[in-house]
Amino acid sequence: MVLAPGYAPLSFTPPEPGSYALPAMGSAADGAVIDSDGNSAQLHDFLGGKPTVLSFIFTTCDDVNGCPLATYVMRSVQDALQADPATANKARLVSFSFDPVFDTPDVIDAYGSQFRAGEFDWQFLTTEGATTLDPILNAYGQWVIRDYDENGEYMGTMSHILRVFLIDESRQIRNIYSTSFLHADTVANDVRSLLMEAAAEPSADTGS
Amino acid sequence: MIIRGFFSALIALAVLVQPTSADETCMSPYMAKIVGQEDYVYIWTLGLEGVGDGEDKLVTVDVNPDSETYAQVIHSISMGGRHEAHHSGLTDDRRFLWASGLDTSKIFIFDVHTDPAAPKLHRTIDDFVEKTGGVVGPHTNYALPGRMLITGLSNNRDHGGRTGMAEYTNGGDFITSVWMPTDDNLQGAEKSGSFADGYGYDARALPRRNVLVTSSFTGWNNYMMNLGKMMGDAEAMKRFGNTVVIWDLHSRKPKKILDVPGAPLEIRCAWGSRSNYCFTTTALTSKVWLIYEDEAGEWQAKAVADIGDASKIPLPVDISISADDNHLWINTWNDGLTRLYDISDPFAPKQIMEEQIGEQVNMVSQSWDGERVYFTSSLLANWDKTSASEGNDLQYFKLYKWDGKSLTPEFNLDFVELGLGAPHQMRFGAHALYGGMTAQSPSGLVTTPPAH
Repeated sequence: MVLAPGYAPLSFTPPEPGSYALPAMGSAADGAVIDSDGNSAQLHDFLGGKPTVLSFIFTTCDDVNGCPLATYVMRSVQDALQADPATANKARLVSFSFDPVFDTPDVIDAYGSQFRAGEFDWQFLTTEGATTLDPILNAYGQWVIRDYDENGEYMGTMSHILRVFLIDESRQIRNIYSTSFLHADTVANDVRSLLMEAAAEPSADTGS
Repeated sequence: MIIRGFFSALIALAVLVQPTSADETCMSPYMAKIVGQEDYVYIWTLGLEGVGDGEDKLVTVDVNPDSETYAQVIHSISMGGRHEAHHSGLTDDRRFLWASGLDTSKIFIFDVHTDPAAPKLHRTIDDFVEKTGGVVGPHTNYALPGRMLITGLSNNRDHGGRTGMAEYTNGGDFITSVWMPTDDNLQGAEKSGSFADGYGYDARALPRRNVLVTSSFTGWNNYMMNLGKMMGDAEAMKRFGNTVVIWDLHSRKPKKILDVPGAPLEIRCAWGSRSNYCFTTTALTSKVWLIYEDEAGEWQAKAVADIGDASKIPLPVDISISADDNHLWINTWNDGLTRLYDISDPFAPKQIMEEQIGEQVNMVSQSWDGERVYFTSSLLANWDKTSASEGNDLQYFKLYKWDGKSLTPEFNLDFVELGLGAPHQMRFGAHALYGGMTAQSPSGLVTTPPAH
């Protein structure tokens, strides 16, 4: 097993924050979700107003280069941003489960408590089921292959292309990361770039 | 069926993948890979006047030997005209196949996941030139995470070789474009040699080095001209690219312009986790070039081998690197040969065999294990040969088996006889990419039994 680059020190010097463009890739979709306290909400309640890193995961994922990588990188982003007074508490992380069958609010709450540092704005979300989940996954291009046996019975495992989204304060998607492109240093720099961009344009729509 | 995640032995798909060590060996490192038996080859095919309906087509051939329709054309979509069908590429999730036309600058996006045996047209981009601010001739369709990078060959001001690249979402929405660096506007790049021509052709990424590599061909005025006429036009022959550009992948800014004279075409980067190099071949000077990062971290270009006798203009076209980085297939279009090079020492490639594939040969695609090698014949509508010296072996799709020593013909489909046209880019498809059950919902919670 070769670990994804996101687990190792970055092997190149990333471009300086603010030195490059992150062109908008379209609006981040909304949809009905359930937070880790069991409250019904909209996904947009947890997007906008500040840079947000959104990942799609499921808590029982055992592929070290899949969901665990996303959560590892997001925790590292959290640590990097919180360590700098200029960026502390100025961004948000959202981990969104695409396994509503197993990932109940209690499960995602317990999962999230392992990674959230203090009161940092790291949200863990799930859904009621396919009816509300599918439109969200479709909008974000996040398809999952569930493994079924020859009798059509779900085998409890699934596959997916890892996708992590950078979403700006106006709920525009500004970057998409996958396994070979997901590293805390570059994600944190992208967040810093959005913060610098917002600071330079104080009149920008906050999206809130 | 086994699907492999991305470069080296890293894994993107969680369960179906195996930690083993496309054209499956030449696809984006961001893309899931088919490392077992492919089910289908999708062939982007030029329409030929007087052949079938004369329109460009996406042709699907069943290549699974266990199938009842093995080695048969099982599906074809006509595109309502001729667009100079050339290259195609899959999105990172392999749900969509993008296929572009060099003449009309249209891009056709096919859904290949709903029924991999029967792709359907999902969307047509017909404002590429307008959206990009004048880029003409969309060529390489290359997967980046959640988006497609499209290289251009020309521009709408003079239809010469200065051009740019564009990015689109996987769904086909325009994101941004960037022009290739020129003497007039280096965009901060270092001009390391004599050229900064601004030409474009292919693109490949090395994410672990944060590098994007682009090559350079020629503009619409040349690639739409009759080959014989162009070869006799001294001025036209001056208008070919002589550069490879090294870009900062993350910022999409050009860093260094390398001299690679003679129209460097396809770029194939090594897969090894410490192999910081790519190969390209030059169409006009018939050489293999190594694009590599030296010990000081500087990117360099070096001619490392000859391809045939350059004075006879063999015209190297498509190349395909093996998954273990030890071999490189190089097709030479003019003499119809495929040549295999040992590239285990990337600074000293050696040709170890050659085989006559047809009267002309352009594209080569190999399976991840290298055991199946597919060839197609067509280069460009106005450059292709029109009569075979003997027999009828001009426009074909062929499969050979490779045992490490020799190529053995498996099947040959004559695309003229079949009324299809002139076959160009090949891409692989497989049912297993989309699950054993046919998912009707993104979550996979709503399914129907598989159709196949």
